[in-house]
Amino acid sequence: MALEVSHVVGGYSQIPVLKDISFDVRDGELVGLIGLNGAGKSTTINHVIGLLTPHKGTITLNGVTIDQDSQAYKQQIAYIPETPVLYQELTLREHLEMTMMAYDLDQKQAWETAHDLLKIFRLDNKLDWFPANFSKGMKQKVMIVCAFLTQAKLYIIDEPFLGLDPLAVNDLLNLIEQRKKTGASILMSTHVLDTAQRYCDRFVLLHDGQVKTEGTLSELQAALPEAGESLNDIYLSMTKVDRA
Amino acid sequence: MTDLFKSRLQRHLREMAKYLRLVFNDFFVFALMFLLGGLGYGYSNVLKQLKMGLWWAPVVVVLVLLVTLQVGRFATLIEDADRVFLLPKERAMHAYLVAARRYSQGLAQTTQVIVVFLLAPFLRVALGWSVPQIVGLLVAQVILKDTLLRLDLASAYQVTGQRRMNEWPIKWVLGLVALAVGVWLTPYAAIVLAILADGAVAVWMQRHWQQQQIRWREQIKIEDNRMLGIYRFFNLFTEVPMVEGTIKRRRYLDWLFKPIKSTHEQTYAYLFSRGMVRGTDFSGLVVRLTVIGMLLLYFVRGEWLPVFLAALFIYLIGFQLLPFFQQYDDVVFTHIYPIAPELRLKSFEHLVTLILGVAALLMWLVIVVANLSLMTAGIALIVELVEVWYLARIYTPQRLARAMKNKA
Repeated sequence: MALEVSHVVGGYSQIPVLKDISFDVRDGELVGLIGLNGAGKSTTINHVIGLLTPHKGTITLNGVTIDQDSQAYKQQIAYIPETPVLYQELTLREHLEMTMMAYDLDQKQAWETAHDLLKIFRLDNKLDWFPANFSKGMKQKVMIVCAFLTQAKLYIIDEPFLGLDPLAVNDLLNLIEQRKKTGASILMSTHVLDTAQRYCDRFVLLHDGQVKTEGTLSELQAALPEAGESLNDIYLSMTKVDRA
Repeated sequence: MTDLFKSRLQRHLREMAKYLRLVFNDFFVFALMFLLGGLGYGYSNVLKQLKMGLWWAPVVVVLVLLVTLQVGRFATLIEDADRVFLLPKERAMHAYLVAARRYSQGLAQTTQVIVVFLLAPFLRVALGWSVPQIVGLLVAQVILKDTLLRLDLASAYQVTGQRRMNEWPIKWVLGLVALAVGVWLTPYAAIVLAILADGAVAVWMQRHWQQQQIRWREQIKIEDNRMLGIYRFFNLFTEVPMVEGTIKRRRYLDWLFKPIKSTHEQTYAYLFSRGMVRGTDFSGLVVRLTVIGMLLLYFVRGEWLPVFLAALFIYLIGFQLLPFFQQYDDVVFTHIYPIAPELRLKSFEHLVTLILGVAALLMWLVIVVANLSLMTAGIALIVELVEVWYLARIYTPQRLARAMKNKA
């Protein structure tokens, strides 16, 4: 059991956005976090990466909570935010080097990985560029490279498919597949349901700060038999129940 | 559209008033009064010694007026979102821009009048001008400024195949020619020239604006730069959230980073050092304050005064460095890196010690050279050392620890 979120109540202020959320991500598993705008996906992610502290409940990562040992907890996580923000004063090369320093990686080995990743995302000739010269998609790629440099146990990816070109989306999915095989887990939030349906092992459907349902696609289909075949149909029917 | 400008102007003026209250605090007003009094006294002394027929007098007049002419920019108050939301209203924007130009006249023309007024005694004494001549020059100057603002307005529109209307050679050459004619020939001829130029731009504008698109991107950039300049000025006195500096590569300073090893402990030293050197905000502040301090210390001599001044400047630098610690709070990496907060604080302490140490050393050297007194040099050295140690090692970590706790 890599990540375990149990009975988390939380949000940005005293008013909770998340109302008693529980789910888990197992080793070598890609879990899709699905929900409308404002359902609580980003809030959940912010709790998992430690930007927010839950009002109630616990988040455990391979037996450690952030309160017990924040460094051991953070060491296991790599995060790719939806809106890429980089250090304005650092070049791409320096971002990579700083990531290596922060995660205490072996520099020689890490640079080998880095060069492979840079080549995949066609950034290998832009090592001395500053973030100001990158487009949004390129910045996102920089964050992907930094994240996959770390050999983390849990990758948290917030809406990766918007803003990336189709080639990069494909490369990212390949990378995810590769890391899954080595036992890493991925928690990914997205609106692109057909891609999610094809690649995710399990789904957590968030609605209005609650976990509406979770499971594999076939489990979801079994739970909501009249909803339809695809994740899209299931999801739409789920939100409709709420609207009625 | 004029209403839109009016409501924006109100908001703008409210904001400016808020900052101006902070800028003109008692201390600053006091210093300003002394400065103005001193300058006025010096000017009147100079005037007493002047005689007619100095070759450089007209040159000074032309230069002063020429520079003054560039003061007072076209304030459009255009915002980034306008290029999306106001795009369908492009034709109606003309009324908005005209209103903006009318408003810009206020500050710009007041400056022109004040400067000509201040020059008047000089014109009388050094050039022997009569009052009507001076008034003539004032009228020419005001019309010239009107022309420049009209050029700014015209350049808000695209001109295909032609150079931009407000490019600086046009502005400077136009002013130079008219003012030279005014000073060496007669100010009345300058009035005629200025009216011709103003009229020509007005006619051109009237013919062309309806067929042209607004240069949204340039206008937004110009306005952003203008506001940034204002905020930078305010930022010298108080913290302004809108000020975001620019980044310069400064490759020639890369040797500064050599001593920082790429180890886990040095992660923030790596970031802070590069951020400090390449960002213009904080480094500019440090350099400015150090240079001003050094200049002041060269001219202010005495036994205790230099020691006090140096201490004051070191405190100012150290105090202004504090917000640099939070500089990277909006980059998510800062929060998710598995680095103990103590390491971040430690790196910052190092940085502050280093910066204050270098600034203190430079100022101390100036004190030594300026005073050549063993006593003053010794006292200054001890005071500076204690102060740098206290600011960097005690005060800074205490303040930042409190700030971090408040946030959490």
